[in-house]
Amino acid sequence: MISMTGVYAGYGGGDVLQGLDLELAHRSVTCIVGPNGAGKSTVLRTISGQLAPRLGQIRFGGHDIAGRHPARLIKAGIVQVPQKNGLFPAMTVEENVLLGGYLRRREKAYLRGRYAQLAERFPLIAERAGDPAGNLSGGQRRTVEFARALMLEPALVLLDEPSLGLDPRSLGLVGDTVNTMRESGITVLIVEQNVRFGLGIADRGVVMESGRVLMADSAKTILDDPEMGALFLGGAP
Amino acid sequence: MQAVLFGLLVGGVYALASSGLTLIFGVMRIVNLTHGALLIAGAFLTYTICAATGVDPFATIPVVGAVLFGLGWLIHRLVVQRAEHGGEGTVILSTLALAMILEGVIILIWGHEPHSVATSYARSSFRIGDLVFPAAQVYGSACALVLLAALHTLLNRTWLGRAVRAATANPQGAELVGIRVERINVAAFALGAALTGAAGSILAVLSPFTPDSGDQWIGLGLAIVVLGGMGSLGGALVGALALGVIETLTATYGSPAWATAMPFAVIVLTLLLRPQGIFGVRVREDVVSA
Repeated sequence: MISMTGVYAGYGGGDVLQGLDLELAHRSVTCIVGPNGAGKSTVLRTISGQLAPRLGQIRFGGHDIAGRHPARLIKAGIVQVPQKNGLFPAMTVEENVLLGGYLRRREKAYLRGRYAQLAERFPLIAERAGDPAGNLSGGQRRTVEFARALMLEPALVLLDEPSLGLDPRSLGLVGDTVNTMRESGITVLIVEQNVRFGLGIADRGVVMESGRVLMADSAKTILDDPEMGALFLGGAP
Repeated sequence: MQAVLFGLLVGGVYALASSGLTLIFGVMRIVNLTHGALLIAGAFLTYTICAATGVDPFATIPVVGAVLFGLGWLIHRLVVQRAEHGGEGTVILSTLALAMILEGVIILIWGHEPHSVATSYARSSFRIGDLVFPAAQVYGSACALVLLAALHTLLNRTWLGRAVRAATANPQGAELVGIRVERINVAAFALGAALTGAAGSILAVLSPFTPDSGDQWIGLGLAIVVLGGMGSLGGALVGALALGVIETLTATYGSPAWATAMPFAVIVLTLLLRPQGIFGVRVREDVVSA
């Protein structure tokens, strides 16, 4: 599906990713966990084109996509939901969702069809269509962000800390959405601080430390690993 | 009554004159101090085109708008885009410097003397009962409202407009839906400059102007944007009409000297009493994920 080989990337003050190797299977849900500063979000930014790697390859659909502009990557089927402030607060919910289809803006019938499908899947979109996105609660904003990300039927969705600032009920909704993404054949890569939640909704787990992959296994194995528990979960569950 | 109606006509032109600033300052949050110089450049261009060809000054708007669009494009590409790396202060100082250079260039080309554009209808007026409306003022306001309506449609009904609003509200979010933020910013800035130039064409008909007439328009423009609510085009229109009426009433029943101080009084009072302006939207700040 997508593979990163020997990727070095950073923000000018040295490399955050230090020769990262990572492979995602088609239709899998993978969660990256690790301590602060391990480079988890940097992995997402490098895949989505917001940060060009200094060295290394990122292969997706048979091409090396390293360093391409986000617009080209969205066309190729990669979309990212950012950690926070992803929406346009003064614009309506409908406008926000439709902007997810910006790159196919001339195909009106397609966009209308997609919007209708998403409004059916996420009832909130239909109920609050005319409200400014800035008036929504944290969980509602997440829903709008998910719907927007799904406008162009992506093949790979990158979720940066989807649990951030959400109450337990909204967390359940995030889990449900990730499940439906998996069922509809989308590959999902999640970065999470909330290790239990992240690994709980994933099939695969990746533990990162200092810009490298420390361990990659099934999510359950990592969640049950007592050493990992001590490292990241603050003791045994 | 006469003063109020005249104020509304004045306000219509103010609205257009400040619409470029609404876009650049209110929406894009760039403090562009070349605003006044661009307005006056539009007025002088109109003067030259009319003097050379004899066409009606309102007919020069497409040409003046196109020239100012190009000028705005260059200013953003060469100055604002680079200055933005240094923060807001750098943008303010570099646009201030550029405004002085532009004013200098205008003086070099057209000299210091006041200019005005003559029209066949300069002395005619419409009468409804006891009320008198100068024809030039009516045409100018009508022109301004048409251009404002076009801008409103562009911003709210087209993908370019949505991209402008998205890219300015949240550049990172815009990039993640595939909007090429830098290109959109240049286009929006250039559009703001074009609208300002068009307003200059209208002002050229309404009153004589000198190369430094632009200065007063910065205060006026900022007052309108602040009063209407940052980034709200409807707010800018209402703010402009209100300011037109306030100024005319002050000049009629007080003194013209006080009228020029009104924009600044409005800025201070608005920021003290209703910082978000008449139509400014306040969004929830209590949630982490926006």
